[in-house]
Amino acid sequence: MNTVIDAHNISKVYNPTTIPVYAVNNVHLHLQKGEFTALVGPSGSGKTTLLNMIGGLDRPDEGNIFINGIDITKLSANELISFRLQNIGFVFQSFNLIPVLTAKENVEFIMQLQKASKQQREERVKTLFAQIGLQDKLNERPSRLSGGQQQRVAVARALASRPQFVLADEPTANLDTKSAFNLLDIMARLNREENITFLFSTHDQRVIDRARRVITLVDGRIVQDTAEVSTQHEEAAAVKT
Amino acid sequence: MIFIMAWRNIWRNKMRSIVIILSIAIGLFAGIAVLALYKGMMKSRVRAVIDAEVGHLQLHNRHFKKDFEPAFVIPGGVAVLKSITAMAGVKSAAPRSITNGMLATTTGSAGVQINGIVPHLEYATSQLKNKIIEGKPFDTAKQNEVMIGKKLATKMKVKTRSKLVLTFTDTSGNIVSAAFKVAAIYQSDNAPLDERNVYVTMTDLNALLSIGNAFHEIAVLLNNDNEVKNMLQQLQNKFPVCQVESWQEISPETDLLVKTTDQYSYIIMVIIMFALAFGIINTMLMAILERTREIGMMMALGTSKIKIFNLVLLETFFLTLAGTPAGLLVGWLLTGYYTKHGLDLSGMGRDMMSSFGFNTMIYPEFPWDKLTGILLIVFCTAILSCLFPAIKALQLKPVDALRN
Repeated sequence: MNTVIDAHNISKVYNPTTIPVYAVNNVHLHLQKGEFTALVGPSGSGKTTLLNMIGGLDRPDEGNIFINGIDITKLSANELISFRLQNIGFVFQSFNLIPVLTAKENVEFIMQLQKASKQQREERVKTLFAQIGLQDKLNERPSRLSGGQQQRVAVARALASRPQFVLADEPTANLDTKSAFNLLDIMARLNREENITFLFSTHDQRVIDRARRVITLVDGRIVQDTAEVSTQHEEAAAVKT
Repeated sequence: MIFIMAWRNIWRNKMRSIVIILSIAIGLFAGIAVLALYKGMMKSRVRAVIDAEVGHLQLHNRHFKKDFEPAFVIPGGVAVLKSITAMAGVKSAAPRSITNGMLATTTGSAGVQINGIVPHLEYATSQLKNKIIEGKPFDTAKQNEVMIGKKLATKMKVKTRSKLVLTFTDTSGNIVSAAFKVAAIYQSDNAPLDERNVYVTMTDLNALLSIGNAFHEIAVLLNNDNEVKNMLQQLQNKFPVCQVESWQEISPETDLLVKTTDQYSYIIMVIIMFALAFGIINTMLMAILERTREIGMMMALGTSKIKIFNLVLLETFFLTLAGTPAGLLVGWLLTGYYTKHGLDLSGMGRDMMSSFGFNTMIYPEFPWDKLTGILLIVFCTAILSCLFPAIKALQLKPVDALRN
């Protein structure tokens, strides 16, 4: 298996000159291609901060993060923007779709930034919307979609650029149970069938139960890393598909 | 996609966008109205200078204008006048005998320029007859009649039929005085000129100056304003002993006024747009602050800074583009109406307007010649106004913006 994410000794400190608070403290993390991993821990444990640093949205105060062998801590702000576009897919807790664009346009937007041709965009949109089961909602604005539907569009958007991996920050936090399971089914299927790497930050047990690997953070440190945690839910989902 | 987003973004808060679009339209209209009014006023002023004051061209003895010595008459004046009148393109020509002197009444005295005129020629050239507001034009059967301006009449407390004394020196240097009766009081659009000029018949003045049928000035009115340069050249070649001048040379202040008014009107336009710029900055800044999270998310997904900048720029551009046709249309319609019917500024006071040499009825003209400049100012304002909000947007850090 290929190493997609390789983080060495990364730390993030707030108030370094007064009373230092370690949001992330000397964390080592390695993720292989095709992993379906949950980053868990109580509020304030550093999940989102770690995810932001791996996603190139924030910089660690110490340590290095290699994505496919490239040290993203050495990239400039502009290089990081381009790197994120080509390599990382994001799914946010509150969906964060662009409200003035339709579902289709939201997904196309990323591909247009990548300068994909119209034909390529059309084909990719068709495939992705079939995968998330929203073929009939292509031209709806986000305000006319339910929370679950918006998050499915967000997943399609995250995958539109064919990223190395997808980072999802509390993806089910704002969803009801049915929508959450629906979303998890889609992501698990994409992981299994297309070997897409997912890293979630969550404290939602429904997500934890579906993850094959669970990394637990407490006070910015990894206290537990359980690879390949198989759950009955996942097996049931596999049987279903 | 950035185009679509920019267009849809401006309609996210309809009321706010409509207000700023209206502001742009009103600002543009105000600028056009000022330019149109200035253009109308300048045109009216130039027309007054040409049609009612100096004519298109004037001829003098080369030495006359140095100190208005009455001895310096136009050599062969009658023949010159006859020749000019016969030239193609000349509408009319009026001879004038001129001297500076003193006007005295029982209540006081004032320094004046005394113009000896041939009434029918003067009426055709400077419309003096049309300016009479009290009394009657010169009666050729009567002697020693004078026509004075309203401002001077008020100052000297004279009315029609009042008597006054004009004193001046003749060609021999003798002081000559003569009593005149006020035949008429006139009022032009140029109060300072009215206060300084009195008119008598050339027959009366020439007799007192002892210059026979000679005169000092010929005012020439042409059929076409564009022929001034050409005719000036022709007259200079034909009458080399005379000093031939165009209205721009005789009335340089008017020429300067026309030229500087163009610059003033642009300055006013810039001031209006400067005020408008703050409205645009406020609107765009609000739009950016409201969308901090969204912009942060776009950056997180990989939208380059230049694309974010373009988005803000396009939104401002679209707002301006929406306001501009409305402003132009209202400006064009209203200017068109007043071009036809005139804008009566008599409410501001005729005396006040005429003290600056302007008629109270102004016919504004849509400034087509300045349209490119106006649009350039408007769009430069829009672009400059969006710079600050755009820079604010670019300064956002995705991680902080997403936390917003």
